[in-house]
Amino acid sequence: MDDLQLLREMRSDIGSAPPATLARGRTKLMTRINSASTSGASTDTQGKGSVSPIRFRRRTLLASAAAALLVGGIVVADVVRPMGPGATAEAAEVLNNAAAATIQTADPVVNAGHYLKIQSTNLWGSAAVDENGKEYQWLDTEKQTMYVPANRDDEWVWERSGRIPTTFFDEASKQYVDRIQAGGPEAYVLRGANGAFYGPGSESTFPSSSYLDSLSRDPRALLDDIYQKTSGKGQSVDGEALVFIADLLRTGVVPGDLRAALYKAAALIPGVTVTDEQATLDGRKGIAIGRVENSSHFRQDIIIDPRNGLPLGERQVLTEPRGTMPVGTATSWTTVETTVADTAP
Amino acid sequence: MLREPFCGQRAIHSVSTDNEIIRRSRDSPEVFGELYDRHASVIYRYAARRAGDFAADDVTSETFLVAWEQLETYDLDREDARPWLFGIATNLLRRHHRAEAKVLKAAVKAASRESVADDSDRIAARVDAVVATGRIARTLKLMAAIDRETLLLYAWADLTYEGIAQAMDVPVGTVRSRLNRARRTLRTELRLEILDETENDHGRLAAAPRNA
Repeated sequence: MDDLQLLREMRSDIGSAPPATLARGRTKLMTRINSASTSGASTDTQGKGSVSPIRFRRRTLLASAAAALLVGGIVVADVVRPMGPGATAEAAEVLNNAAAATIQTADPVVNAGHYLKIQSTNLWGSAAVDENGKEYQWLDTEKQTMYVPANRDDEWVWERSGRIPTTFFDEASKQYVDRIQAGGPEAYVLRGANGAFYGPGSESTFPSSSYLDSLSRDPRALLDDIYQKTSGKGQSVDGEALVFIADLLRTGVVPGDLRAALYKAAALIPGVTVTDEQATLDGRKGIAIGRVENSSHFRQDIIIDPRNGLPLGERQVLTEPRGTMPVGTATSWTTVETTVADTAP
Repeated sequence: MLREPFCGQRAIHSVSTDNEIIRRSRDSPEVFGELYDRHASVIYRYAARRAGDFAADDVTSETFLVAWEQLETYDLDREDARPWLFGIATNLLRRHHRAEAKVLKAAVKAASRESVADDSDRIAARVDAVVATGRIARTLKLMAAIDRETLLLYAWADLTYEGIAQAMDVPVGTVRSRLNRARRTLRTELRLEILDETENDHGRLAAAPRNA
């Protein structure tokens, strides 16, 4: 018997997982990942087979940023580049004004040993199917604070409140959540050098300064680049381009000149309008510009503080009812605020 | 993102490859459960072998949650998601290094107890197996974590060199050198290397272990 055979026999008496353990794990997993932003699966099935649900993109700030980074290397030759009139005149004015204001707003400067502190409040839709096939929907809120050290190779700290169920549209869903999440979520803290919260290999999950530097500050070139980076994703090239811009802005690390270029690029996207002049997000007021995605019935908004051009956050709003959620429900939103901290917890 | 007509359908029982499941779950989260159904039990067993049931419970559910959070980073050209999942599980198992050390320590202890107790009247094969296990456990315990992870992904998770390279995000050459190093240490500890040589030279077995 050789060394490998001996090793293979070691602890080979350990049996498979008890079915009950696996079943419990599955329920837990599915509860946490099912999101109303794609729960269209149930509502869209009836008679609308050709309609894709909204793609699921809300998981965490990081995952999304990682996705944005990962598609960066893909170059597709035959990208359709809409050269239409772009946003409405009104939206273009809002965006161009915001660009002018934001470039004058000083970015936080992180000195050696200090941290960029990115506080966000995130709302996500959740959905679950119980053992009888009945579907429930609700909205969860999670507060997060990420501490990014001046030297990215140092340890990052990410405080998360866990997803707290906050909004219900029917009593059945509330009862379901009370039943399966009796104790509520637990807050937890993740740590990792270079943002590798999940171990080696998970480092590059947040836009690095070199990535941010690599993006063009020329609005047209930037938008063309975004079309290329998002090629093949989303329901439409224009919709996905705006989603990309919203995703990048909500990381909270975009420098002023790039923010300005992103706003101006958004002004070039056909279908972008002012969607809400008095938008309120998590108690903060701003102007929302956005674009309706007809094929999947949601609207992507970016909410901007007109006083300084800073992005307050972004949201996705239903343009037709979904399950128990009425038209106008924001099935996901994120607000973000970036400051500097001397220390991390 | 994707425009497949089946996005909204519940029929997810067709035979699909892992990458197909992952591609579809990006649009329809409920499909992701299929990946769990496929692989949760092997992840669990692997984790249980390394660090016991309690750790396995945690590592299994966390592995799939992390996989879900990193779904968009999955390389859709890869049909088999096991290397990816084992890679995540390997990282998560590091949180349970104390439990793993305990498991290995228990195996070492069991071996020394057995070899003393049955010294006079032993059932040779069984005792030797236990003794060998004790030596392996001790070697694993002393080995660099990264070598141990590589070795166990090979021997217990049945990943190929390429699979381990994907799981640990290192070149295949690195996997090969880590495996060589780990196996050399293991063989030295088991004295199998010496055995192999003496067997050829002398046509008989060297000392321990007898069941070699």
